[in-house]
Amino acid sequence: MSASARPFPNRGAQALRVVVLGYVGLLIILPLVAVLREGVSQGLGGLWHVVSAPAARDAIVLSLWTAAAVAVLNAVAGTATAWVLQRYPLPGKCLMSWIVDVPFAIPTLVTGVMLVLLFGPTRPVGRWFEGHGLPVLFAPPAIILALAFITVPFVVRSVEPVLAELDRTEEEAAATLGASPIRTFWTVIIPALAPSIASGSLQGFARSLAEFGSIVVVSGNIPHKTLTGAVYVFSEVEGGRPHAAAAASLVLLGAAIIATLGARAIAQRTVPVDV
Amino acid sequence: MPPKQPTWREFAVTSILPLAALAIVIGCGVKGAAEKEGSAAQTLTLGAYTTPREAYGRDILPAFATSWRAGAGKAIAFEESYLGSGAQARAIAGGFEADVAALSLEPDIETLASKKLVTHEWRGGAYKGMITNSLVVIGVRAGNPKKITGWNDLAQPGIKVLTPSPKTSGGAMWNAAAVYGAAFLGHIGGRPKGDSAVAEQFLREVLSNVAIMDKGGRESMLTFEQGVGDAIITYENEVLAARDAGQAVDYIIPDATLLIESPAAVVDVYADKHGTRALADAFVEYLTKPEAQRAFAKHGFRPVDAQIAKEYADKFPAVKTPFTIRDLGGWPNVVQQLFAPGGAFERATPTGAK
Repeated sequence: MSASARPFPNRGAQALRVVVLGYVGLLIILPLVAVLREGVSQGLGGLWHVVSAPAARDAIVLSLWTAAAVAVLNAVAGTATAWVLQRYPLPGKCLMSWIVDVPFAIPTLVTGVMLVLLFGPTRPVGRWFEGHGLPVLFAPPAIILALAFITVPFVVRSVEPVLAELDRTEEEAAATLGASPIRTFWTVIIPALAPSIASGSLQGFARSLAEFGSIVVVSGNIPHKTLTGAVYVFSEVEGGRPHAAAAASLVLLGAAIIATLGARAIAQRTVPVDV
Repeated sequence: MPPKQPTWREFAVTSILPLAALAIVIGCGVKGAAEKEGSAAQTLTLGAYTTPREAYGRDILPAFATSWRAGAGKAIAFEESYLGSGAQARAIAGGFEADVAALSLEPDIETLASKKLVTHEWRGGAYKGMITNSLVVIGVRAGNPKKITGWNDLAQPGIKVLTPSPKTSGGAMWNAAAVYGAAFLGHIGGRPKGDSAVAEQFLREVLSNVAIMDKGGRESMLTFEQGVGDAIITYENEVLAARDAGQAVDYIIPDATLLIESPAAVVDVYADKHGTRALADAFVEYLTKPEAQRAFAKHGFRPVDAQIAKEYADKFPAVKTPFTIRDLGGWPNVVQQLFAPGGAFERATPTGAK
């Protein structure tokens, strides 16, 4: 599509434009403005006062580090999954590919319930971990597990198409020049995939910051220990303190927006230049 | 003719004006619908907290409908909404037009009074606006393997305790107030009476054993049923409901514990708006009548009617030293001292890494 295509040729297209603008405006921009207004309603000092209070700060920090850990986990495991799905003949590949998308379709509250059913202390799996001194539920591992589950598709779906388009001749050339498969992987394949890996894991990072439904079930929600930013926001809403809720939301939102902008910038940089 | 880019003016005309028009249409539409609802057949909208859902849904609402039909000769319908008590109060305050609010604790009705939605003196009558009682109790594993006998045991090292967060669950304030109050009133062995620092320290010791704070009382009970934790601070009616559902949960009533008193009130503004005043008044009155009181008792709530309470004396053992929220200075005082930002509960929440 070039820029000289007829932009708005008729009434129908104009109507469509109105609908789309209204849709984006009402659905996304207005709520963002509302939370921004509430968050800064007591000035930036007021915002800082709220989010630097120990309970808020610890909750936000917990969200940031668990989301970062999951982003790294996804970068490795997601790339490996995409690699297997693309490159290896695998029985039931079609099924596997479908399974990767399942987390997007499952209500995250259900994800939490599934984890409790799997790792609860009366269940075999949970008992095994607890017996080995590794309690999973109601501890940070539960948070990471839930976030990892929910964000599996991001890296896989972002890397897969790039992997599919990758020019095999470069790998063959590297091999011909005597590079070991491992060296080929690191010097030819990874540089080509890196932007899509980074963009996928940043999207997963942003999504993780927002996660509530599963976390509130599996984490234990103890302030300073296992209470995440999103659950903190919820508790402030429930406690009738909208300003504190909005202020903490803004911090999470800010981090998520930076991450998604980063993901976009990386993704755009890799779009082949128009000829 | 070459296509041209639309100018800013065209953009304004084609985009912003229709949007504004749309907004007006939507606004009017909502208003029209609300007015129509008022003139419709009699529907009673109940905004309640989650815990007594079964009592209302299975017994009280059907029985009230029958008696209303017998008396007034008219059929009625119900719209029921169940949320955490604080959330329900905020929903009603925020425009959910419930005719009757049945909530866990007085401050939540007070929220509605402060918004001028409940305008009458709702604390009137023989029971001061309260419709059920319950107790803060300690749920334990079947057979009580950890030999928990009272509040003191919840502060022992190595005991894993569950209680919902009072930040997300208004009802959980009862739990924290019970622990704090038992210590403040001198019922924790060897600790001096009437010292808020002592009470806060005891609360801190119990909270340091709390591994999971679910977002509400029911969720907390479900987690306990999953096998997590040694003890759960909960309400007597929650344990009785769990046992009715076949769960192997035992409970102990601490020698000194807090009497939970839960209110209901007509939301004047909405009842008048819907023209359901008579119905709503009759419903709230019905809640303390023997029939409803028995239904509550069946679902694990202690009746406020002493006569009915006597009938269920076997089900609800007497408490050695019950105390009420008034012994702690009343709700406004308790909320201020314990649950306000920076209050005793927040200070008593352990901040250490471990």
